[in-house]
Amino acid sequence: MSTAESTTSPNPGLRDRVGTVFTVRPLTVGLALFWVWVLARWTTDFVLAGVSGFDRGTPFIPAAPFLTTADAVASLATPLGVAGAPLVWFADTLRFAADATAYLPALAHGIWTTVLLTVFSVCLGFALALPLSVVRVYGGRWARWFALSYTELIRGTPLLAQLFVLYFATSLTQVLRGVPGVGVGFVPAQAFWVAVISFTLNSAAYQSEYLRASLESVDGGQLTAARAIGLSKLEGIRYVVVPQGLRLALPSWTNELVYLIKYSSLASFITVQELYGRTSTIANETYQYTELFVLVAILYLALVVSASALMDRVESHTATAGVGHTRQ
Amino acid sequence: MTQPLLSIDDLHKSYGSEEVLEGVGLEMDQGDVTVLIGPSGSGKSTLLRCVNRLTEINSGRIALDGQDVTGADTDVNELRKQVGMVFQDFNLFAHLTALENVTLGPKKVLGMDAADAEAAGRNHLEQVGLLEQADSYPAELSGGQKQRVGIARALAMDPELVLFDEPTSALDPELVGEVVEVMRDLADEGITMLVVSHEMDFARSAASDIVFLDDGEIVEHGPPEQLFQNPTADRTEQFLSRLHAHEETA
Repeated sequence: MSTAESTTSPNPGLRDRVGTVFTVRPLTVGLALFWVWVLARWTTDFVLAGVSGFDRGTPFIPAAPFLTTADAVASLATPLGVAGAPLVWFADTLRFAADATAYLPALAHGIWTTVLLTVFSVCLGFALALPLSVVRVYGGRWARWFALSYTELIRGTPLLAQLFVLYFATSLTQVLRGVPGVGVGFVPAQAFWVAVISFTLNSAAYQSEYLRASLESVDGGQLTAARAIGLSKLEGIRYVVVPQGLRLALPSWTNELVYLIKYSSLASFITVQELYGRTSTIANETYQYTELFVLVAILYLALVVSASALMDRVESHTATAGVGHTRQ
Repeated sequence: MTQPLLSIDDLHKSYGSEEVLEGVGLEMDQGDVTVLIGPSGSGKSTLLRCVNRLTEINSGRIALDGQDVTGADTDVNELRKQVGMVFQDFNLFAHLTALENVTLGPKKVLGMDAADAEAAGRNHLEQVGLLEQADSYPAELSGGQKQRVGIARALAMDPELVLFDEPTSALDPELVGEVVEVMRDLADEGITMLVVSHEMDFARSAASDIVFLDDGEIVEHGPPEQLFQNPTADRTEQFLSRLHAHEETA
């Protein structure tokens, strides 16, 4: 509908420009600001901390000006009675901003852990999912049965339960604690790694389902042709079927990435101080639940939109005529 | 030539209880162009696929260069290096450009280095008149161009024998000519070809032998002029007259 409109529009140039200015830019600018802030935070707190002049966790923007302005606006509202409500709201928003400046440094550290947790889990999960999906489609009877059982077991039980089983019911934590380097310096402590293992095992099952569907949708003639030029079955899968399957799986794979960013918050239940964990800890101390959970929602949204934008770039970068649907 | 390049002897193949090939025998010398014709379901494509073992046979013997290729210890990948195949539905690798389609086999199967494979691949694309389309993806090519890339892909392995499985059946009528022309050139160059096709034009001008297959057995075979002008079997005659009728209406 919109495509038809824009092609018949008498002045498509203007339309495009308007579209660019008012729809694309704010998102790009917002994401850019978000990441500049995040990276600046990480740099000052993790890299420059201890160097004179850089205090770990000091807000970049002081809260005082927000509070002064809020008080001034609120005092303006008092004589207006009910009519001053909008001014009161504005004052509250300023107070929220003042609170945010105080909490954001700690939340930036939470973002670091969340990003690390997600990236590790999704990458390791993929490394497991690829062979699992190939086995599901091309494996022998028993291998297929094993892969299917694994996938169904994982997909059929709650992620939180899987996490608790690994953390509380196995000796994984003790084993990981004994690994040299764990919890030292920048290397996160054992609970983080239990979460990584749990999310990896979980994500592998979901990713293998996406990949299986994509591999199955690659035309059978492709592998026949690969076999006919003398490639072994495994080579044919590797050089011909998998590359096409991966391309087809990208959109649903993005889905999995987005889910994992949010589901990684479950790690807070086993003491990992990722984004949700940090928020929850601060909220329990300050009782500012509303402010903090609105703030954390905005931060998760920024992470998710960044991931989607990144995968969009990957999708258009790997777009191949005739493999999957190509966008205009 | 003391021994034939390809010899098929008493070949039986059935799918479940349905016997598709009932004791087929065939011989081809180097440089021969044999065209298999026959009604649909007569087993032509199955026979072709038995030669490079995309389909396993039930009994009989197939030998290439005197080497039995149907044994359990035969290396099928080794066999397929020597036997190229061109498919009805092209089956070009969708994620690879025309050139990459042609070079994948030489690189991964023959172990050629990338530069050599590409140089050779360009030659093969030139041979089928598609050098300019080297960087196009299959989806960007016409049916006729796709099939010519398919032929180049088979030739790139430098095979002793090329199998053509109804190479023009999936093409729009106006695109058949370009593919037939390429095949005729290959025949002239002495490439050994086993072709399933009802392209009478090609059969008459390029075939050294026509084989008429019906109900899983070879009814009749001979040089094109003999088989087309003076078929000895009634079934051949009936089939050919139906084919002519179809050609005239088309």
